[in-house]
Amino acid sequence: MFFKLHSFTLIGIDALDVCVEVHISRGMPEFIIVGLPGKAVNESRQRVRSAIINSGFDFPIKKIIVNLSPADIKKDGSFYDLPIAISILAVSGQIKSGVFKGSYFIGELSLDGSINPVRGLISMAERVSSSGGKYFFVPYSIADQASFIPGIKIIACKNLLEVAEALSGGTQIERFIYKNTGTRGQSSCSNLDFKDVKGQFKAKRALEIAASGRHNIILMGPPGSGKTMLAQRAVSIMPELELKECIEVTKIYSLYQKYINCLIRQRPFRNPHHTVSRMGLIGGGVVPKPGEISLAHKGLLFLDEFSQFPANLIEDLRQPLENRKVIITRNNMSYSFPCNFMLIVATNPCYCGYFGDGSRKCICSLREVKKFWKKMSGPIMDRIDMRVTVARLPESSFIKTEDSEGSDNIRERVKKCMIIQKERFEDEDISYNSEIGNNVINQWLKSSKKIRDLIYTISKKYRLTARGMVSILKVSRTIADLEESGIIKESHIIEAVQYRVGYNQDSLT
Amino acid sequence: MEDTNGKKILYLLASRAVKPARFIEIYRSNNGDLEKTLKFFLKYKALKLKFEDDEENPGISSGDGIFSTEAVNCTAGKGVGLLDIGQDSYPDILKNIYSPPPLLFFKGDKIKEAKFCIAVVGSRKCTAYGKEAARYISKNLSRMGITVVSGVAIGVDSCAHEAALGEKGGTIGVLGCGIDIIYPPENKYLYENIPENGSIVTEFIPGTPPLKSNFPVRNRIISGLCKGTVVIEAGEKSGAIITGEMALRQNREVFAVPGNIFNAMSRGCHWLIKNGAKLVEKVDDILEEFTIYSERILKSSEGCRGSSKQAANSEIQKGLTAGESRVYEFLGYRPKSVEEIVRDIKMDVREVLRILTLLEIKKLIREDSFNKYSRLF
Repeated sequence: MFFKLHSFTLIGIDALDVCVEVHISRGMPEFIIVGLPGKAVNESRQRVRSAIINSGFDFPIKKIIVNLSPADIKKDGSFYDLPIAISILAVSGQIKSGVFKGSYFIGELSLDGSINPVRGLISMAERVSSSGGKYFFVPYSIADQASFIPGIKIIACKNLLEVAEALSGGTQIERFIYKNTGTRGQSSCSNLDFKDVKGQFKAKRALEIAASGRHNIILMGPPGSGKTMLAQRAVSIMPELELKECIEVTKIYSLYQKYINCLIRQRPFRNPHHTVSRMGLIGGGVVPKPGEISLAHKGLLFLDEFSQFPANLIEDLRQPLENRKVIITRNNMSYSFPCNFMLIVATNPCYCGYFGDGSRKCICSLREVKKFWKKMSGPIMDRIDMRVTVARLPESSFIKTEDSEGSDNIRERVKKCMIIQKERFEDEDISYNSEIGNNVINQWLKSSKKIRDLIYTISKKYRLTARGMVSILKVSRTIADLEESGIIKESHIIEAVQYRVGYNQDSLT
Repeated sequence: MEDTNGKKILYLLASRAVKPARFIEIYRSNNGDLEKTLKFFLKYKALKLKFEDDEENPGISSGDGIFSTEAVNCTAGKGVGLLDIGQDSYPDILKNIYSPPPLLFFKGDKIKEAKFCIAVVGSRKCTAYGKEAARYISKNLSRMGITVVSGVAIGVDSCAHEAALGEKGGTIGVLGCGIDIIYPPENKYLYENIPENGSIVTEFIPGTPPLKSNFPVRNRIISGLCKGTVVIEAGEKSGAIITGEMALRQNREVFAVPGNIFNAMSRGCHWLIKNGAKLVEKVDDILEEFTIYSERILKSSEGCRGSSKQAANSEIQKGLTAGESRVYEFLGYRPKSVEEIVRDIKMDVREVLRILTLLEIKKLIREDSFNKYSRLF
């Protein structure tokens, strides 16, 4: 007797169809799983047997062979418990149903028959939708995250008996269809607000521009100047994720956390410590998992004390920053993880930290300061459009009680700016000003002599490289968008200069 | 090259058996007769110089052989000249100091021709103001045919060289290492460009690394070559102050450019002024001290002295927009932060940042430290 059922395996963040085939024959009672099962899959034999018995069904005392096809891909994880159990019940005639075709099953079983959450559910739901499935049987506790995928019906069951009930035919299945409440996760739960930052007008303005045009930014300043405080609040001025983005982000997070019961709505903010391993930052492992850069997808990656990060880790960021995804090859397979993040980097300006600080003397030699910068410069710095100096506040600023602008106001402006960019780049494969190519910038330059002259003056005065000028132009495009100006005006460029050049710029380069 | 005396001195010094100071002592006791001095040293058997036996393959039989061959190889070709104390072209003004170098290595002939030199020295870690001042003073000095001497270091030194190089007077760079060693590496371009309108000079034997202890020794040559020394931006214990002190000891004039009283980099200059150095605002302040020369020089350079910049600036100020002049008026000579500007004149931060860039481009203000600005004029 033979029966087969649809389920999945996970390849990176994507789900791949797997058929769970069961064959029961006479012979010595036996229960074998084939098709490159991992440890957790092999152990599912025990869970399945107990769950079936404890749910009041009979476990057939026959020779049972389970094959997970395609049989040449290694399978791991505990989510084959439910499909295996259902197949056994079906093949032994204990469940009969007309909906097996077009149904997909996933779930880990407890010994008592209840269904536990699994990783990667949302990727699987997406796969069900794209391969034209109708029903998707999932653990009840995490059903919400899958329920936003259009075109499929989520059947949320708490235990094996409920699954059997849902399959028993008629309108029974309708009872278990999960209906989401329409709210996507929690709203911004972060209580960090730009209101709390006193002074630092320039840095705040710079972060607003950076968030609007998705420009990578470096905050440089002496200890205690508020770099970390500013960066941590940057995510509070970014608009919430759109549904499509929510799904993408949740896909990545659900690989790590089983208990995501709803979509992630707030933009991620990742702040890895500088001792993070290469695998932890970029992603990897025997079964590759996304690293911090992917966990920051659609959000912020904040590298505090950038100078402390090992040079090879910094270099590793090059390709992901360029391609917005990272491809990891392990076990003859390539795994692609998206990592479209905005990079915020905070660093002291030198070893002692006080270079450029007005009130305290820097004890580094100029050579040391240069050495400090050499470590960071190069390809990574080229990909950072904005370089903003953050000074320590004079004591008087702390005493002043007036409120600064809150994050809510700023977020509205950022949102508007993002919409403008979205409209502009509708037909292109980019979505932010920071991704504009050089050909477009050349066109801007061609179109206006005034701008050309201004650029010439600026680059001469500040000894800027061509790359520096391109960055300034990109940032001025964002400033123009923030002011809802169709063309870049001189004033926009002049402001953008402030976010590129800083104190003693010429002695550092 | 007919310069056997120079070579002999080189071998003597390279052998490390004779210290320059000892050489000068004997040289002076022989009333400046170089032949006699050399004979004196050759009397010692241990110092029997090999070149007496073998003209073709000179070297030194005692002392550090490697050192001397390297030295010989470096001076051969490569445009390095030797200038010994017995030569007529050896600057007289340098001969008069307490311990003149018996032998100078040089590239570029300025050292032989320069009649009137002024040293411009200062901190390596200078502010934008220091650089501006170094350029301004050196350029105008050089324009009047005065040679600017400095130490080829980064910061004030390189600005002084750079500015003087393009004008009539040219520039002389005095090194703290062997002439074949480029230090600091950033200043390679100065090594290449200075010989065209100036000289690179050192008393150190080729191959000498830039040891810390070399620089104070080198400073006595900088001040010794010059009738006056201008100190721009020096910290309290900096090398520039040492140069100033050397100049005093050598009975030369010392000038200092004042700075911001809040800036630690000006402490040294102010200390010099307090102790009698002359305060310099413009090149005339320097020239006044050298009446004999200035008469002639002033005549030859009518109209190209640094005209009072201040007058020109009030003109610029008239060209400012309302917002610009508001910010400019608000800024004083004490650095003020962007926060203060935004808060006190109640202007939008965007507007302030834009105006600050514009004023900076117009060279009216400068950024003293992170996000803190003050007036330049």
